[in-house]
Amino acid sequence: MTLRKVFRHETILALLVVIALIALDRQSDNFLTLDNILNQGRLMTEVGLIAIIMTFVIVTGGIDLSVGSILGLTAILIGVFWENVGLPLPVAIGAGLVAGTFAGFVNGIIIARFRVPALIATLGTLALYRGIAEGVSQARSVRGYPEWFYVLGQGEVLGVPTQLWLLGLVAITAAIVLGYTTWGRTTYAVGSNEVAARFSGLPVDWTKIAIYSASGFAAACAGAIFVSRVSTTRSDMGTGIELDAITAVVLGGASIFGGRGTIIGTLLGLILIQALKNGLSLAGVKSDGTVVLIGAVLILTILLSNLFHRDTNR
Amino acid sequence: MLRKSLSLLALLSMSAGAVQAQSAWTGGDDLPTNPLACDGTPAAAAAVDYDGGTPTDAPDRNGAEITVVDVPKLIGIGYFDATSKGIAEAAAELGNMNATTDGPVEANIDDQITLIDNYVTGGVDGILFAANDPVAIAPVLKKALAAGINVVGYDANSEPDARQWFVNQAEFNGIAKSMIDSLVAEAGEDASFAIVTSTFTTPNQARWISEMEAYTAACYPDLTWLETVEAQEDNILSFNQANTLINKYGDELKGILGMTSVATPAAADAVTQAGQCGSVAVVGLATPNAMKPYVESDCVKSVVLWNPVDLGYAAAHVLRATADGTLNPGDTTVSAGRLGELSVINGSEILLGAPYVFTKENIADFDF
Repeated sequence: MTLRKVFRHETILALLVVIALIALDRQSDNFLTLDNILNQGRLMTEVGLIAIIMTFVIVTGGIDLSVGSILGLTAILIGVFWENVGLPLPVAIGAGLVAGTFAGFVNGIIIARFRVPALIATLGTLALYRGIAEGVSQARSVRGYPEWFYVLGQGEVLGVPTQLWLLGLVAITAAIVLGYTTWGRTTYAVGSNEVAARFSGLPVDWTKIAIYSASGFAAACAGAIFVSRVSTTRSDMGTGIELDAITAVVLGGASIFGGRGTIIGTLLGLILIQALKNGLSLAGVKSDGTVVLIGAVLILTILLSNLFHRDTNR
Repeated sequence: MLRKSLSLLALLSMSAGAVQAQSAWTGGDDLPTNPLACDGTPAAAAAVDYDGGTPTDAPDRNGAEITVVDVPKLIGIGYFDATSKGIAEAAAELGNMNATTDGPVEANIDDQITLIDNYVTGGVDGILFAANDPVAIAPVLKKALAAGINVVGYDANSEPDARQWFVNQAEFNGIAKSMIDSLVAEAGEDASFAIVTSTFTTPNQARWISEMEAYTAACYPDLTWLETVEAQEDNILSFNQANTLINKYGDELKGILGMTSVATPAAADAVTQAGQCGSVAVVGLATPNAMKPYVESDCVKSVVLWNPVDLGYAAAHVLRATADGTLNPGDTTVSAGRLGELSVINGSEILLGAPYVFTKENIADFDF
């Protein structure tokens, strides 16, 4: 029992992260420098925000494939609200966030109320939201935002990239909510056995709707940060980001069947992937090779973890 | 909620329908045009001040061995294989340049930015890039300049102040002149022609069409412009649109201009299947591999594009000249090995030259 506790998935993962950091540091002098670490943090914030809320989604036994499209849609709407509608930028950002959250809410309604499997529902909205984004943008970019807006994506607060503070705040809040509150326990209950949760009188449907809305909100925030970081708006933003986020969550030990997963695991998964991408690139490995290696690490980690958890694995 | 999204979708498709209804429109944009002289005399280059960036505290790299990374829009496609081939050729010829190509596996702005960021951290002497988005790539290129790295673009530009020089493969008016000249050579000065483009809002295509209009008005006023149709860069739609044009205008139609690398081969296919080879000329922008069957069967005589091997070759030479300090703001030409002297235009761009016309004689030499 104690041995099993020591060798829980997160511990194995943390060990892997340390090994990876040491190994990559030996390959390049530029890897473990403060500048590079902060810069990598900046680059992984968007995926990070989405992955943290995706952990909740996956713990309930669901999945949200539409986050990349919500990111793109929010980015486009911020641009259109600001430039074409003429709203002040803070209001435009607020409206974009509301729209993104609403997109997530729609996912929640389709999944919880109409009992459409999450995979199919969000596969549909993945296409729907991206289509709306492309229709609204008419293949035109919005550029030339005021200077203050770039502080969010390109600036620093107390020497740390601005968005990294936000990521930290969201991570801590999410870890507390999932680990120590009734909310968190309801989330696990829904994922472990939805029928039992329903008969125990838990608000299963509202839990799901709230979580998918939060997922939409996280994607919308990531969209605003993305626009600020790259200083332009395009309808193809965030394509494929859902897979990066899901990879991090699954690498972090969440079960795709629900009921298992932690925020700390997801964060370790994120760090491992980012460290591999960056470190291998600095060591001179080309990007196609890096993708192959990340796939291999994902499978190896899960196999290694299953070795110690044969019984609890579903 | 679903109903709301559906009605929104319906609204969007209706507005798209309204745009399509304006078929009389040529599909150009409303930006000012600058047609070239009919006989090809180069336009007097308007002196524009250098508007590129400058690397901060760049070390003296004159003649020194330099490490260069080439970051195209994506890797694994024929076009960018050809540009990296040109870069490798120039590097081998120069002897003091180590060039590697590394790009995203999809044309994704974020992957490309991250990749360049990593190379800036890792430390290189020079970066060659083809931007997936001119504005999105600017912050990371500025970071590279601030780190003292020489930055030169090719194929797709960034904001001017985010790089030092940009090798421009072809100006819009140059492409427009080549297209119309090829059409006139095949179908005559009084031909009626139609255009198959991608969509009316695609920026490059709209620009080329506007320039073609201006050049036609100035040099071949007897040409008749029948119609411009949209084909969304879709194979089947392009074929159908070209087919419709052939049936709709019959003998009146003497030429079809394909504005995309999808539309041109599809139009050639439609003309071949309609048995109109020789009576309907197909001229267009396309890559050689897609056009080889039609060029070899004599159905298509000229395919307009630039030579991507030369483009990469020129970019590598420009980067070397920049690192050596032989190309400086204010210069009007730069020497680029076997391509000779290339001229500086628009402040900080280097023009590769007139577009390249692939014909039956030379198309077999290209593989992309």
